Amino acid sequence: MALIEARGLAKAYDGKPAVRDLSFEVRPGSVTGFLGPNGAGKSTTMRLMLQLDNGAGSTTFDGQPFSALRQPMRHVGALLEAKPFHPTRKARNHLRMLAAANGIPTSRVDEVLRLVGLTDVAGKKPKTFSMGMGQRLGLAGALLGDPHTLILDEPANGLDPQGIQWMRQFLKALAGEGRSVFVSSHLLSEMALLADELVVIGRGRMISSGPVSSFIDGASHKSVLVHTPQADELRALLGGREGVTAQPGADGEVVVTGLDAREVGDLAFDHRIRLHVLAPQTATLEEAFLAATEGDEEFQAAVVPHPERPNGWGAP
Amino acid sequence: MSDALRYEWARIRTIRSTWWLTGSALAVALLISVLLGWVGHHDFSRNGASAEDVEGLGPFLVTQFAASGQIPSLVGFLVAMIGIFAWGHEYRHGMIRASLTALNSRPALWTAKYVVVALWVAVVSLVAMLMSGLIGLVYLHRWVTVFDSQTWSVIGWQMLSTVLLTWLAMAFTALTRSQAFALVVIFLWPLLIESLFNLFFVLVPGLRGHQDVLRFLPFASQRRMVDVLTDATSTFGEPLSAVGGAVVFGGVTVVLMAASYALFARRDA
Repeated sequence: MALIEARGLAKAYDGKPAVRDLSFEVRPGSVTGFLGPNGAGKSTTMRLMLQLDNGAGSTTFDGQPFSALRQPMRHVGALLEAKPFHPTRKARNHLRMLAAANGIPTSRVDEVLRLVGLTDVAGKKPKTFSMGMGQRLGLAGALLGDPHTLILDEPANGLDPQGIQWMRQFLKALAGEGRSVFVSSHLLSEMALLADELVVIGRGRMISSGPVSSFIDGASHKSVLVHTPQADELRALLGGREGVTAQPGADGEVVVTGLDAREVGDLAFDHRIRLHVLAPQTATLEEAFLAATEGDEEFQAAVVPHPERPNGWGAP
Repeated sequence: MSDALRYEWARIRTIRSTWWLTGSALAVALLISVLLGWVGHHDFSRNGASAEDVEGLGPFLVTQFAASGQIPSLVGFLVAMIGIFAWGHEYRHGMIRASLTALNSRPALWTAKYVVVALWVAVVSLVAMLMSGLIGLVYLHRWVTVFDSQTWSVIGWQMLSTVLLTWLAMAFTALTRSQAFALVVIFLWPLLIESLFNLFFVLVPGLRGHQDVLRFLPFASQRRMVDVLTDATSTFGEPLSAVGGAVVFGGVTVVLMAASYALFARRDA
């Protein structure tokens, strides 16, 4: 099982940095999500890791750079393109060609086609494939050598909800076998369910690297939602404390920050304030991601006000 | 290297264009040789055949007139397109990244492409020439010995010429990463650009005295490799000998191949 170690990855296009001094690790037995806004440098980073692009830094797979791996598909499976195949080469032939380059028996071709659910279209040309089927064929190629490491760029693109769920379970199962899975995605809700670890970048720079829970905890403020018939008394009680806020919510509830649920509950009990609901609120991965990458988008859209709704698309 | 050769061998056999280009090349060879054989048979049967009539007929038959030195080999251009697609598909369909993650040695992939494609086009070229010769033999055996020593010599030169043309086309495609551009150039260069050079050297007074340098144009040199009608006095004289043509055309090809390798080795996939 391989540890991926990326050290000092950097790349510039026409003098404009696309990836700046990125270093991170991907551990065996885990799915590591690779997040960043559009244009953050995720795909470039993956290509640098596989030495497809020229740049600075190095990446090793169990201590060896990609170029030193003999029959590389047996070590690293990669999916970098949405449709990485010739449209008129039959799916099975595409995989046989890749297998030939790595001394992989042709029996493995039918095996991976079955794994990704493409057995019925093995003899068909991929030009008739949907985006999701193309992704499955790409994934079949990545799995062909039964590699210990997978590097997948947006593998869920084009998949339907069932396909996404299948992909999630599949990748988690592969990680469960001790493989290193490094996967980029824009689907944050999906990444929240899939990833154990995260590497988050913005404008080519490292923003965060570590467990998903640490990223969410570190990038957001926790709060406690309180439903009480004595909302004014509770706000008055908590509002005077240093570092604590107690704001009224939309439905009469109180949103408390600076204290955890146990502390709010104890204080309310001590002051004979009746509570109906006491719920810790944790930010979603999406909220944490948006907070962490604020200002790091490559392309920022302007909000165009409607002529009759100068404040935007809210209530007229 | 053996992995790269296996990969390329699988690649070239599993793509439809290889087969339709191979089939087209053989069909063109068949058609032209049947036509030439039938016309020759008809004419010789009526009027008889003088020594002048049958001079160079064997080489003409097997090369589909390319041995006249006046026209390029149509079969050669068709099979050279297999070479254009060998690189063109990599870039047009984003296959290059899949190829370089399956084969992590750029020198091996680059070499395997040139070797495998060269073998394929050499065999197709040989089959096309043998088939044409046999058809000619069927029609014209009463008047001409198709497979004489001159014909066998031309077959060898034509195979070399076709391989060099294919490599040149491949190198150009790898340089530009555009099979469409390469296809246009590979046809326009011999058919239009070199003809324009010839025209300039006729029309521009200052150039009229230097027309002999035109023998070094790449495709003019290539035609000299199989030309059986014009005798050469020396390797690089006017006209070039077959060896001289091979050196000039091969030299241009090697320069383009070296440039394509230098770029392929260092640019992003």
